[in-house]
Amino acid sequence: MIKPSKWRAAAVAVLAVAITNVGFLNAAQAGIVATNAIVRTDRDANMATIRDQLDRSEVKAQMEKMGVDAASVDQRIAALSDSELHSLAKQMQDAPAGGDAIAVIGVVFLVLLILELVGIIDIFKKA
Amino acid sequence: MTHPRRAASLVLAACVLVLCGCAARGPIMEPGSAIVELADTPFYPQEAHQCGPAALATVLGASHVAVTPEEMEQRVYLPGRRGSLQVEMLAAPRASARMGYQVQPELADITAQLDAGRPVLVLHNYGLPFWPRWHYAVVVGYDSPKEQLVLRSGKVQRQILSARNFMRAWDNADRWGMVVLKPGELPAAADKERYLEAAANFEPAAKPQDAWAAFDAAVRQWPDEAVARVGRGTASYRAMDYRAAAADYRAALQIDATQAGARNNLAMTLLEMGCVGEARRELDAIDASSLDSRMRDEVADTRKQIDGAHREACPAGAMP
Repeated sequence: MIKPSKWRAAAVAVLAVAITNVGFLNAAQAGIVATNAIVRTDRDANMATIRDQLDRSEVKAQMEKMGVDAASVDQRIAALSDSELHSLAKQMQDAPAGGDAIAVIGVVFLVLLILELVGIIDIFKKA
Repeated sequence: MTHPRRAASLVLAACVLVLCGCAARGPIMEPGSAIVELADTPFYPQEAHQCGPAALATVLGASHVAVTPEEMEQRVYLPGRRGSLQVEMLAAPRASARMGYQVQPELADITAQLDAGRPVLVLHNYGLPFWPRWHYAVVVGYDSPKEQLVLRSGKVQRQILSARNFMRAWDNADRWGMVVLKPGELPAAADKERYLEAAANFEPAAKPQDAWAAFDAAVRQWPDEAVARVGRGTASYRAMDYRAAAADYRAALQIDATQAGARNNLAMTLLEMGCVGEARRELDAIDASSLDSRMRDEVADTRKQIDGAHREACPAGAMP
């Protein structure tokens, strides 16, 4: 029975580090099950607690790396549910990040330019 | 008229249409005479890559929360991605006592929200499949006869888009959109699962009375839904209204007797009321073998608290 206890020790260590690091506090009191845990349809809920802590530190690290100032990071993470943290941790690098209005105009210009060049439209030439 | 140049241009035009995922023919918007525009919706011309914060400030302003795009930038903008992610867009209103609710992926759902007086924040993709360009904008109106939508977008206060062009950019963004709700408001054509998930995600950050209002609206809309009762019960518990909490947890268990979370919380509530024996009886009724580890920990924690409790007088009327 070496394996299970090893796992247990590892889990405890991870949890201890994660909890002291982040120091998050849920609004619901101890002993009360949050509604979130009931709504949530997790296939691997058995690993959920440990996974949540890992997600939390992962998202925190990525946010800091992406230039969010330290003061905002904790506040932003606190607003996220466990499943939201999980999806962020997985796809923060490549999830759609809305914000490219300038590039949008660029694309439109590019398309117009191509259409102009091949002669479909005629808006850039002098009358 | 068989210029090679003209032929080439036709081929190119065809390619552009295919790449843009041209929509099926026929009316896109449900036929009707409705013309709606929420002209009071604030407008924040955005700076550089700030369409996420600006769009959020716009819908929050429409929900009577005065925030600036600069404040929202602190909550959603990711400098490293030069944009804002959908998950954070949905989460950010919670800090302003508002719930983000993801609308259903249909144009009819957007117009229904507008009919109810709520602007809809949408994600658009104006790029190409291999080169996506993501952009947030806020739909503030529509014109059925003309099949047009009105948006606050970037630096344009009243951007008019044909329904066809709107749908093209929206389709390419997997038809993602959201509204913000004041606690107690239901979206138009509310979807039960979406709403309850939104409310449950709102709960940890919300004041008890706000969480209560959010779940109370759900209880009214779906009286037979156990999760709505549990949510309202937990809000009452947090507000230390234990009698109301117990009533809601019991109602949830009437609907679904196997709801371990509701029974655990009922036990905690009874304990708070001084009904130690009754609390233990509820906890003993939970089939521990069916629980995942997280719920098992919660139940074990509740048992520890019950074991450590002094026997107090259970007030008359605490039990149903």
